[in-house]
Amino acid sequence: MPEGSAERPHVEIRDVSKTFGHVVAVDRLSLDVATGSFTTLLGPSGCGKTTTLRMLAGFYDPDAGDILIGGVPQQGIPPNRRNVSIVFQDYALFPHMTVLQNVSYGLKFRRLDKAERDRRVSRVLEFLGLDALEARHPHELSGGQQQRVALGRSIVMEPHVLLMDEPLSNLDAKLRIRVRAELKEIQRATGITTIYVTHDQDEALSLSDRVAVMADGRLQQYSEPWELYHAPANRFVADFVGYANVIPGRVLERGAGTATVLVPGSNTPLRCLDPASRAAAGADVGVMVRPEWFTLSPADEKAAITDGVVLIGEVRSGSFLGAFVRAFLEVPGIGDPLVVESTVTRQDQMASGTRLRLCLPHDRAVLVD
Amino acid sequence: MVVAALALFVLYPLLVAAAAPRAEDWLRALTTARWRVTMLNTLQMAALSTISSVIIGFLYAYAVTRARIPGARLFMLVPLLPLITPPFVSGLAFILLFGRRGLVTYELLGLNTDIYGWHGLWLAQTVSFFPIAFLAIAGVLRSINPNLERASESLGAGRWTTFRTVVVPLAAPGVGAAALLVAIAVLGDFGNPMLIAGRYRVLATEAYLQISGWADMRMGAVLGLALLMPAIAFFFLQRRLQGSSVGRFVTVGGRGSRIEPAPVSPMARWGLFTFCLLIALFMLAKYAVILLGAFTPVWGVDYTFTLDNFRRVVVRGPELWNSLRFAGSAALVCAVLATISAYLVYRVKVPFGRALDLVSLLPAAIPGTLLGIAYVLAFNTPPLQLTGTATIIVISMVFSYLPVGYRIAAATLHQLAPSIEESAADMGASSMRTFFDVVLPLISTSFSAALVYCFVKAIGTLSAVVFLISHGTVVASASILNLAEQGYWGWAAALASLLVGIALLTLGVAKLVFGRRFAFFDI
Repeated sequence: MPEGSAERPHVEIRDVSKTFGHVVAVDRLSLDVATGSFTTLLGPSGCGKTTTLRMLAGFYDPDAGDILIGGVPQQGIPPNRRNVSIVFQDYALFPHMTVLQNVSYGLKFRRLDKAERDRRVSRVLEFLGLDALEARHPHELSGGQQQRVALGRSIVMEPHVLLMDEPLSNLDAKLRIRVRAELKEIQRATGITTIYVTHDQDEALSLSDRVAVMADGRLQQYSEPWELYHAPANRFVADFVGYANVIPGRVLERGAGTATVLVPGSNTPLRCLDPASRAAAGADVGVMVRPEWFTLSPADEKAAITDGVVLIGEVRSGSFLGAFVRAFLEVPGIGDPLVVESTVTRQDQMASGTRLRLCLPHDRAVLVD
Repeated sequence: MVVAALALFVLYPLLVAAAAPRAEDWLRALTTARWRVTMLNTLQMAALSTISSVIIGFLYAYAVTRARIPGARLFMLVPLLPLITPPFVSGLAFILLFGRRGLVTYELLGLNTDIYGWHGLWLAQTVSFFPIAFLAIAGVLRSINPNLERASESLGAGRWTTFRTVVVPLAAPGVGAAALLVAIAVLGDFGNPMLIAGRYRVLATEAYLQISGWADMRMGAVLGLALLMPAIAFFFLQRRLQGSSVGRFVTVGGRGSRIEPAPVSPMARWGLFTFCLLIALFMLAKYAVILLGAFTPVWGVDYTFTLDNFRRVVVRGPELWNSLRFAGSAALVCAVLATISAYLVYRVKVPFGRALDLVSLLPAAIPGTLLGIAYVLAFNTPPLQLTGTATIIVISMVFSYLPVGYRIAAATLHQLAPSIEESAADMGASSMRTFFDVVLPLISTSFSAALVYCFVKAIGTLSAVVFLISHGTVVASASILNLAEQGYWGWAAALASLLVGIALLTLGVAKLVFGRRFAFFDI
């Protein structure tokens, strides 16, 4: 079996488009996926992520562009000749076969002797903790177990690329978090290049080496989770991943990847990140601040602040969430109330009507539009 | 009341019929060579027709549900025609096409062959009843998650292997159930063997001849009961198969985005398209030739255009009017009973619900021939002397097609969430009010569907009523049989065309009035 060479990315998506009728599902998508990495396609429903996955699986051929796996163009290669394997959202376990039969199904089509086949199947069953269930049928399994059988059926093939289509969405919330951790561990242990599709930002951030955010068939940003959250490339990504306060501002001066911006309610300019280089002097921009980036202090606090910009706001409403309080703050000159999250030490610290001093630190806020 | 009606008109006559023959009658049936041959023929015909129907039904269903052949929606409609038109139309049409003076055999090919016999019957039964298999199998195939086929492909299986190892085993129980439905229909059919079987004897026609020719009620009952036994066995087997396939193959894994089924190879696709085209054209030819026959003075001799046949059957005979009248009344009663019965089983959840469900569906397994004989035996003495009246014909129609109406009503009520009624009750509605304000409007569509469907089935029914008609109550279907036997092809075809026309018109009007809500056969 040809292995992807170390220098080349394992999966290359080159300018791929796919149209269904009048709907452009995927629009000139380009993406490189490194060997052994865990990459997530993240986006709302209809963004083209599942279509992309299905093109990788070989269920559809792209209308334009190329998909290369290990340097080999995949155009025209049917799904059963591709060394990729897919885990479906509804698992698609064969209901008339046992766990053992499900997991060994695909190996029957490989030229392997029976001993090798059995060895691989039992290793996977054991690895996934399914060995005690091998005689059961899918309908006799819990959701989590079914999910694991679907995964086992795929990884036993030792595919070059493992594809997963929202595999956790049919599990309840608690199980989802546990299986998520397992999934990450399994991927790390097997080292299989994995491409994962989800609309859940928590899943994307916690599982992935890199995340590709998609909207309307187009790639919005492709980066590591940390960067995605702290330096979103545009308003869409900012909104889709985490909560984004967007404060109107005017650019005073632009630097290399940074800009100084004047925001309402303060005469001190704020130094912002500008990863997409949107700033032009005098332009109106949106300044994105995450709810937990603010530092709060009582309004009558006099201590000077040098590492940021100070705003005065009034708490409209607050909700206690255990570890922290989330509050809506009204700030004069800023239209929508700001969402602020902070740990508190006294119960009334963020009660409605309280006036607070907010500090926006330099070099954190991001220009998003 | 519903329970009493079912007991009186389904269970009681069956018991009377079962008690009628004496031990020596059974012995005579088993030891006489003629009856043994008849029984074997019946089973043989059921087996042959079932096998051919299932093969054609499967291919046709696969073509329209999975292979994405061009015009699939249109192809889906054609097999529905035989389901709403009387089965004996096939027999009649094949005589006109392939008979001694047949359009194809005599006129076109100049052959001197003969459709009468087992092969003609086989053809007629296959064309009449493969749609049952088609419909059931199409439902089964549609219920198979296409992701399973995609998963199989992705795991390295080719198309054929996927078909063999995933589609076939998953469809098998449903296909088995479909086969049994066809077998029950073929066993009980009377019109086609009467018209086209020639000297090939089957139980349904022999039972009729024993009674009409020899007035031997007891032997008639024996033959009818001999027909009932395999039918009942198939009925219960069918219920079990359906139940087991639901139990074992219930979709696991919950919701998910489903991909359309993988395309089949172009060769298979066009092969299936050609196959469907041939079948569909053949079926349409069946109706075309009936219509042609209706406008022809003397089939096989004089093909000039005439309206005379229509004039005669409409003006002279009361048959058509009788059919309309009886079928109309029967449909109304049938729809009411079916709806009440389904309501009791699925909503009120009466304690004897399972039994009621079974009895409501049971007539589907009772061959019409036996039902007719049983009615004659049970209702020819006071206090319930009904033989010779119109009432008994209507009653036989009601209970023959009760299962049809019941299934439609049950399907609707089953979907209706109990919470709808509960929320109405929660807002203070009494259970009477809830029924009239909430449930009734919701089931009115299913009621209309049951009404229409019972009507189109009842207007062409033959096997039971043929025992029950008397001089003043002759119905069109029986008359067609008579005319055909005497060689009045023009009149028979005209009457048959009218029956088909009425059935199609009724459905068309219903579709117009109720629009999309009026969905027959889930298509």
